[in-house]
Amino acid sequence: MEELIAKLKEEIIDVLNLEDVKPEDIDNDAPLFGEGLGLDSIDALELIVLMEKNYGIKLQDPSKGKEIFKSINVMADYIQKNRTK
Amino acid sequence: MRKWTAIRPHSLLVNGVKPEKYESSGAQLLSDIYHARVKDWPKFFKMDGLSKLGFLCSELLLREEGETRPGEGEYREDRAVLLFGRTSSLCADRSYQQTIEDAQNYYPSPAIFVYTLPNIVTGEICIRNHYRGESCFYVLAERDAALMASVISEAFDDDVTDSVLFGWLDCASADEFEGFTALARRGESREAMEKDMEKMFAALRQDTESARSRSCGTLGGAEKMNEDI
Repeated sequence: MEELIAKLKEEIIDVLNLEDVKPEDIDNDAPLFGEGLGLDSIDALELIVLMEKNYGIKLQDPSKGKEIFKSINVMADYIQKNRTK
Repeated sequence: MRKWTAIRPHSLLVNGVKPEKYESSGAQLLSDIYHARVKDWPKFFKMDGLSKLGFLCSELLLREEGETRPGEGEYREDRAVLLFGRTSSLCADRSYQQTIEDAQNYYPSPAIFVYTLPNIVTGEICIRNHYRGESCFYVLAERDAALMASVISEAFDDDVTDSVLFGWLDCASADEFEGFTALARRGESREAMEKDMEKMFAALRQDTESARSRSCGTLGGAEKMNEDI
């Protein structure tokens, strides 16, 4: 799981162009949206694409993203349980 | 001559002068200017090349003009943003195309898609500076001082606009771009705007010549340009 979390942080920084953010800056339990990394709705869509492209997870209901993207830990746990690649 | 800022792949010009030396060029130059001069708008890194160019040109211009942004929850409607360019959003269009051209690897990027319109750069500038005035991006075949001055002059025909942040922004690729911005104020004649723009165009042409001279190993082009302006 720790390996997945580390990889996920790198992927999020890359795909969302978080230039000044380092993996160690991202708290595993901190909210990704709002106060945490300050991501917006376009970032949420980009994370949905990331999950499908890198882990084969097709989110049928985008509104579920709110729960899945609650934190890195929650997102990694969801990916671990639902990944197809 | 009004204040103006220009950014090109190898140079930053403020009022025709290079305020500091950058070793980088192209897209890296834009990042370096951001880190050196702005620092407090992380959304910059999410922008496409055209928006980065316009954002930086406007930031540096407004600082040069000594302007401060309206406070939280405050907005200004008296400032219009009128921009012109040749290649429109072609750079973002190409990037987006790459995300959808392979049917076996079809993952349209929402973050790139939002920049596939040239007027997004006007929005980025308006959001940053709390502008709620008129804004538009005109696609022209080439830089045309007379036409641009005419469009800017017409913006003052309403009762709201007191000033226009205008400029030429063109981003063909990460290594081919050119942007300048300046302010026009109510009461200025169209002829004065056109004359100033012609001077800016001449300065940009000289910058191109001086870059060519440097690449050929001769010196003095940039210094001569500054003296001429």
